[in-house]
Amino acid sequence: MGCDIITISADTKFVHLAWRKSEKELAAVRYPMAADPTGRLARMFGVHDENSGLSLRGTFLINPEGTLLNTEVNFYNLGRNIDELMRKFKANLHMSRKANEACPSKWKDEGDKTLVNPGAKMVGKVHEALAG
Amino acid sequence: MSEAAGGLKLGTRVPDFELETYDPVKDDFGKFRLQDQIAQKRWTALFFYPADFTFV
Repeated sequence: MGCDIITISADTKFVHLAWRKSEKELAAVRYPMAADPTGRLARMFGVHDENSGLSLRGTFLINPEGTLLNTEVNFYNLGRNIDELMRKFKANLHMSRKANEACPSKWKDEGDKTLVNPGAKMVGKVHEALAG
Repeated sequence: MSEAAGGLKLGTRVPDFELETYDPVKDDFGKFRLQDQIAQKRWTALFFYPADFTFV
């Protein structure tokens, strides 16, 4: 089960092509590079910087039903951590299959402890639930 | 500065959108539509970034 990555900036598709072909760091890039030259989509997601006309480093995870499940926005000078993004994707994928489970902060991957049927009985007993 | 964190709320449907793309696999231009992802039951991760030819 995968996730399609789409990168988006205010550059046109022509600039994306030129950048991909000139920058050797991008040689392995296989995802579509999308153009949002008017900033319309960046505004919709709240990451458009009206002062610069550029977009902040926003990451948005959308499930197969089109529902927004995760948002992370970094300022210009902080890169994203792909491990944390993968953790969020895996957790959301897990919970989409097991609706009665919740992934706690230390959940990293399949097989890690989840909180099953979090409810009245677990109030004040999260420590025991995670240890059990 | 900007109103980061977003105009869309978690747990809500993302309005459909379409963007022009450069697809490195096909080495060609194309389009990305959210409704196509939904039709194909695919997860989507959108990565916004400031600009091509920058450094991070």
